[in-house]
Amino acid sequence: MTEEQKISVLSVDGLTKDYPGVRAVDNVTFSIQNSVVHCLVGENGAGKSTLVKMLTGALAPTAGAMTVNGKAYVPTSPQEARDGGIATLFQELHVVDELTVLENLTLGMEKSRFGFFVKSDLEDRVTQTLATIEPAIDPAARVSTLSVAQKQIVEIARAASSGANIIIMDEPTAALSEREVARLFTVIRRLRENNVTVIYISHKLDEIFELGDTVTVMRDGKHITTCPLSDVDGRAELIELMIGRTVFQSYSPRGKIGDKVVLKAEGLNTKLLKDVSFDIKEGEIIGFYGLVGAGKTEVARALFGADTFDGKVIFHGKPGGKTPKEAIAQGIALVPEERRTQGLFTSLTIRENVPVMNLPRVTQNGVFKAEDVRAAAEEFVTQLGIATSSIEKHTEKLSGGNQQKVVLAKCLFSQADLLLLDEPTRGVDVGAKTEIYEIIKDLANEGNAVAVFSSELEEVLGICDRVFLMFDGCLQEEIENGPNVDIAHILNVVTGGQDEDAR
Amino acid sequence: MSSVTDTLPTRPTRSKMSDEGFISSLVAAVAISLFLIASLLVPNFFQWQNVVNLVTNNWAVIALGVGVSFLLVSGNFDLSVGGIVALSGVLSVWFAQSTEGANALSTGLGLPYGLAIACALLGALAIGALNALFVVRFGIPSIIVTLGTMMVARGIAQVITHGSQRNTNLPEAFGYLGNLSVFGTSIKFPVVLMGLLLVVAIFVERKMVFGRITYWIGANPEAATLSGIDRARHITKLYLFSAGIAGVVGILLASEYKSGFSNRGLLMEFDALVIALLGGVAIAGGFGSVIGMFFGAIILAVVTSAATGLVLSPDWQFILKAVAVFLAIVTQTWALARRNK
Repeated sequence: MTEEQKISVLSVDGLTKDYPGVRAVDNVTFSIQNSVVHCLVGENGAGKSTLVKMLTGALAPTAGAMTVNGKAYVPTSPQEARDGGIATLFQELHVVDELTVLENLTLGMEKSRFGFFVKSDLEDRVTQTLATIEPAIDPAARVSTLSVAQKQIVEIARAASSGANIIIMDEPTAALSEREVARLFTVIRRLRENNVTVIYISHKLDEIFELGDTVTVMRDGKHITTCPLSDVDGRAELIELMIGRTVFQSYSPRGKIGDKVVLKAEGLNTKLLKDVSFDIKEGEIIGFYGLVGAGKTEVARALFGADTFDGKVIFHGKPGGKTPKEAIAQGIALVPEERRTQGLFTSLTIRENVPVMNLPRVTQNGVFKAEDVRAAAEEFVTQLGIATSSIEKHTEKLSGGNQQKVVLAKCLFSQADLLLLDEPTRGVDVGAKTEIYEIIKDLANEGNAVAVFSSELEEVLGICDRVFLMFDGCLQEEIENGPNVDIAHILNVVTGGQDEDAR
Repeated sequence: MSSVTDTLPTRPTRSKMSDEGFISSLVAAVAISLFLIASLLVPNFFQWQNVVNLVTNNWAVIALGVGVSFLLVSGNFDLSVGGIVALSGVLSVWFAQSTEGANALSTGLGLPYGLAIACALLGALAIGALNALFVVRFGIPSIIVTLGTMMVARGIAQVITHGSQRNTNLPEAFGYLGNLSVFGTSIKFPVVLMGLLLVVAIFVERKMVFGRITYWIGANPEAATLSGIDRARHITKLYLFSAGIAGVVGILLASEYKSGFSNRGLLMEFDALVIALLGGVAIAGGFGSVIGMFFGAIILAVVTSAATGLVLSPDWQFILKAVAVFLAIVTQTWALARRNK
């Protein structure tokens, strides 16, 4: 329009990513202008991470094209992405603690000849970059002496001095205190003044309004809108854009919940959790809903005795187990968050995975009753509908959904009467998801208590009788599930909004 | 024709051998082939007595291999067994030597033989407990811990023997166990013990909770803990088990030679490790079997004795061993990958 119009530094055109059975990113088209803070928002599973992975070269798109700084951009590795002008600040930091700030900044960029470093202006350049964005950090300091926030800034400086003019930040404030967040924002604003475009991903909507110039909203893999944040009318409108009207509520009250309290947690405190108290009744499915990092997994692990904590857990009137072994003996079982690394013995067969949590049931004097082990495995394969040719199949060869069912089988075999399910359907296809929900409901109908820890709202509202909303380690609110649940309110609470704002 | 029956949903059968069974068979086949090849090259190699010798001459290393294999399956090393063999042997001699010797090396504590070997065994278990303490409580990598305790054990043995041997002033009973022949054959008592140990170990490994827990821990330590397995306790038991075997081996060897020698069992920890790896035990844990380890030992024994039979200079034996180890391990990796494709 006018000469004032900023040039577009990044544009994606028809970008699509297919996984078997799922379209994670669906024909996304938008562009970002130079020197802005561009926010990327959407619910969990909206396709943000997949999009970012394509931008950083970690995933190859199924279809579509990207243009960066006016050139076609087809990265196949983070290194190529950086050469193309895109650097990423991941949640886990990639700094070397044992080196100084300066050494970290020049790491991998040193020029050498015959294995010896060649003196160049590199050091001066990076020192200057660091001074521009955060003069308080001494380049000679050892990185191990810095705080998490300062390390993050070192990494940002590294990205900026590597020549990247687009920096992607994925939930950069997750581990920071309020004051550190303010400092990070100052750094981000300085970057913007120095012609760097920041793509900022966060679930905390307040941060987005405070910092962002423009925003892209994604939902179910689709691009909903890209616009200046000044055009968005507050949190309420942004939340509405994020969720649309698509949350499908399939919850029907089961009406079989007993009165007997199975487990009571009082004032659980850990590094992350703050004074978490609740109870679970017989035959009840309760949900813990919150975003990544809200503390759901921490609650599950505390109840299971897997982590140490302050506070009290009373299970069936007795103090809860201090180790997973004791918890299992009392009748608590956990389906952990990461099934491959925490739940399954992937190199072993289904038959060998099923009995682990309740060995006395299939052994006599320490010797396995082979027939009982086989019968147990066969029974669960049939009961849970595990798709496999035989119980002798290695679990690493099963699909995600069937692997999850094997983990469930392990827990069911322990005959627990409280099941803790951490992200029970993550990475599971739609068919298996429905089957797992049916299994959970059947369990509760038989009088077991079930706690579901999930970052999928649809899942929590689909099966849970009561839902606890978590944000930043706190139980913010307890809601009874039912047809009148206010989804906008829920999303407001779990993104850190105050009650008044929602109205 | 067969394809029709193959695709029919039949009752799950155990038609497919487990990967461990497959590797063990492969190792056994290699051992037998090597024996046959050696028989072609070496005169008088193809004799029943020679087969017996291959096993009986290696009873000590095979016995140590049992403990080492279990620990490897659980994801841990035990390099201390050679040192423990020296320590327990020297201790049993020192405890049993009578109190009035002519010099320091011929003077012991004068304990009755039964008590002497019991105390020597306790000494061996103490090293095992030390391994467990550092690995389990302090979380130090087992390769470093057991490298250290290997030197501790041999060091103590060296101090007690003044770097030499103790072989005088021993009671009559001392040489009995190690030289006892059973069933009127040339087969000695220690070999029978090793055979029993193998049978028990195979049963424990395949059929017992103790054995399967070892595999679970090796396959995925975190999942094992979250499944209610007390990892610390189990690994402690494994180190005590391995040290106990090494202690008995040391006592029997001391009895056989009627001496306590601080250099006895030198490099045995590496031989035990090598035969376990030859036998298909995964260095990363979670996979392997005692049967495979046994045939691994046979492979090593065939190569060594064939080399001797070919009048190859002993200087070449290490290189031959190395070639056998590399070939065996490359073959296994290749065969397993091919099978699981």
